[in-house]
Amino acid sequence: MSSPAATVAQAIRKPGGLRTLDIGRYTLLIVLLLIVVVTAIGNPRFLSVNNLMNILFQVSALGIVASGQTILLIAGGLDLSVGAALSVAGLATALTIMSTGSVTLGILAGVAAGVVVGTINGMLVATNRATPFIITLGTMTFLQGVAILMSGGSPINGTGKLFDVFGLGDFLGVPWPVYAMIVSILAMFLILRFTTLGRYAFAIGGNEEAARLSGIPVRRIKIALYALSGLFVGAAGVILTGILDSGLPSMGTGYELRAIAAVVIGGTPLIGGRGTVIGTLGGVLLLGLVSNSMNLLGVGANFQSAVLGLIITAAVLLQKKT
Amino acid sequence: MQSETPLAIQVQGVTKSFLGQRALDDIHFEVARGEVHGLVGKNGAGKSTFMKILSGAQPPDSGDIIVGGQAFKALNPAEGRAAGIAIVYQNPELHLDLSVAANIFLGAEPRMALGIIDEKAMARQASELLARLGLNLPVGRRLGDLDIADRQQVAIAKAVREKAHVLLLDEPTAALNKAQAEFLFNLIRDLARQGMAIVYVSHHLDEVLAISDRITVLRNGRKVALVDGKGADKEGLIAMIVGRTLDAVEPRRLDKPRAEAFLVMDGVSSEGGLDRVSLEVAKGEIVGLTGLIGGGANALAAVIGGLDHRHVSGAMTLGGRPYAPRAVREAIARGVLFIPEDMRGRGLVMSLSIAKNISLAALRSLSKLGWLKLAKETGVATAMSEQLDLNPRAPSREVRFLSGGNQRKALLGRAIFADGQLFVLEEPTQGVDVESQRQIHDHLRHLAAKGATIVFVSTDLEELIALADRILVLRGGRIEQSLSPEGLDPQQLLAAIQTQSTRSLN
Ligand SMILES: Nc1ncnc2c1ncn2[C@@H]1O[C@H](COP(=O)(O)OP(=O)(O)OP(=O)(O)O)[C@@H](O)[C@H]1O
Ligand SMILES: [Mg+2]
Repeated sequence: MSSPAATVAQAIRKPGGLRTLDIGRYTLLIVLLLIVVVTAIGNPRFLSVNNLMNILFQVSALGIVASGQTILLIAGGLDLSVGAALSVAGLATALTIMSTGSVTLGILAGVAAGVVVGTINGMLVATNRATPFIITLGTMTFLQGVAILMSGGSPINGTGKLFDVFGLGDFLGVPWPVYAMIVSILAMFLILRFTTLGRYAFAIGGNEEAARLSGIPVRRIKIALYALSGLFVGAAGVILTGILDSGLPSMGTGYELRAIAAVVIGGTPLIGGRGTVIGTLGGVLLLGLVSNSMNLLGVGANFQSAVLGLIITAAVLLQKKT
Repeated sequence: MQSETPLAIQVQGVTKSFLGQRALDDIHFEVARGEVHGLVGKNGAGKSTFMKILSGAQPPDSGDIIVGGQAFKALNPAEGRAAGIAIVYQNPELHLDLSVAANIFLGAEPRMALGIIDEKAMARQASELLARLGLNLPVGRRLGDLDIADRQQVAIAKAVREKAHVLLLDEPTAALNKAQAEFLFNLIRDLARQGMAIVYVSHHLDEVLAISDRITVLRNGRKVALVDGKGADKEGLIAMIVGRTLDAVEPRRLDKPRAEAFLVMDGVSSEGGLDRVSLEVAKGEIVGLTGLIGGGANALAAVIGGLDHRHVSGAMTLGGRPYAPRAVREAIARGVLFIPEDMRGRGLVMSLSIAKNISLAALRSLSKLGWLKLAKETGVATAMSEQLDLNPRAPSREVRFLSGGNQRKALLGRAIFADGQLFVLEEPTQGVDVESQRQIHDHLRHLAAKGATIVFVSTDLEELIALADRILVLRGGRIEQSLSPEGLDPQQLLAAIQTQSTRSLN
């Protein structure tokens, strides 16, 4: 239990960091530990391997979406449409499997849907003066409509082998979606630290004009980043469809908020220029622990969403001063 | 005189460390009423840190600050203001969307019934105050529409309105031209005559010597000297700052640029204000651009650097090939590197390290198929830090923690590392200390000797004379004069810049 917390603290620690960063870092750590302790006391089952694995399984799609969102926030961007895009990708997968019977084509369709939506968002953001917030709020509304049209208002059931793998399957006792999340986080970690694309994201988020004057093709990079995030969203859509064994127009609802919350809790400021995906993983786990413990303690759904709101607000307020 | 006049502020044994490193070590310091006290030292010596501590913006680790007969362990900004201490930064922290009058009276607006701000009274009182200070500023204008010099005057007027009796000025003239600086000096002298104590930080030693009653020299966070302003000379002051002797006048370049033209401009006009400029710059030549604000020096730099590319007419060639960049990126692809004067707003990425700022314009040479060579990057940044005498030598330190002059060096390091053929540099040594300035100049001369061409914009007359092979004075978007710096003295150059006539010498 202390290892994810330690990793999180490690990741958010900045050499010579400001006091505000330290507060943010310890807050996350303390909150994590408090939740663990309180819940473990209230319900011993909480700390069972089974339950911990269950938490990882439940946050896997969120972890994938949040990994993609991390690089957007670092670059000073934001994508509110990821939840709706996830629904669209999931429906594309389910519909393709239903009509062709091919799981491979279904996966391709879902991932492609995510990339296409991301690319469009990227092009809109890169070429307009409006903020990413407003632009992706627009695409979010649009995509919600698309999802309802695609589904005809009811679930598209039956994904065959996709369900066997992501819904039921595991490897060495760990469900496949958890591997997918780990791969996503690892991939984003490598991109952020070791590639020019990652470096460009930091530079654009830190000072867009300085990036431009350094010869960085700011527009192209922005489009690439949104497309990349779209790839993660598409993958999450495919996996969630497998988990649910169906595509639903509402399957991604709320993902945008939780993904952004996880990134911000993980130490990436909304103004961009810095951040880590390991921090995001901490944010994802925190959200997973909170909702799991509230479930175990029998807290109602409405109260749960109020608590989520409080966490998000607290995270943003703590980040404000960096 | 100082011993008899009452002290406005006194500091005893102030010490401050960052990350275990001493930035200020046991500083004793005092300013009398009516005194202008110069504060000088190399980049990173601790001047800004000291000013922040005096104003209450940062707490010292230990020591006392005594103002108005009261000793403080640490001031907070509100206490500092209440004690009559005002700080004016190089780029004053004011509200750009408010009027001049509203900025001066912020938080103390004259009010009518129901607490409504009495705009008329405010404007009238602001005008009276400005008139008393000999300032001619439009009280109703939005502050954002004024230049930096005017904003500084507004900040000073605000300090006077707040009845400050200690005024801290941290490099106020770094971004000003000569005329603006002269105006500021007159204002400072007036305020001092009225009893205000003024602490004046600058790297322009001639200014410091001319205006200061006493001068404190900091080196590596220690106070190494307190000298009388009247008795000191520049050479002696430099020796105290640097810790060794340097010539008072910087030696000029010995080699000559080559004969072949590298950049050719033919009748170039631009949206930014260039008016049919024709110009030839030789390979290996160093050309200095100057003039009054809006004269066209920066507009010319923007066109060459590829920043201003819409509605540019006329023709340019670079190395014999047509040159019409439609983006900075295209200019960089041709080996043209631009460094802006506005280091914080447009230059540095404050959230990134020294190394990452230095490598930013040349990541292509530090990567393979999109993968960064991080070890090589660190090595390159370390080498560049040494060449530019960056302090501290810690490539992984975020640039926001560096002193102003060291930030400028890091920014310059970016251009130098990117290894261009043509450098377009705005105010390359603004805020840089004497010694580092010479090091940077040497470095640029060395690049030029190896065949790089350099076009720089500067308002620093000594820099223009010491560094340039040719000085172009721009006015109204045209090259008004072309001067040889050989044997030119700063006064002549100043006269050329300020002259109103449009006659050309050459
Ligand atoms: N917040 C900070 N964190 C870490 N180090 C700092 C911080 N602020 C200042 N320093 C360090 O303290 C030293 C003094 O910096 P300071 O800004 O006072 O120098 P300065 O004399 O004003 O230099 P300059 O002439 O370049 O403006 C420098 O080594 C700088 O790197
Ligand atoms: Mg300074």
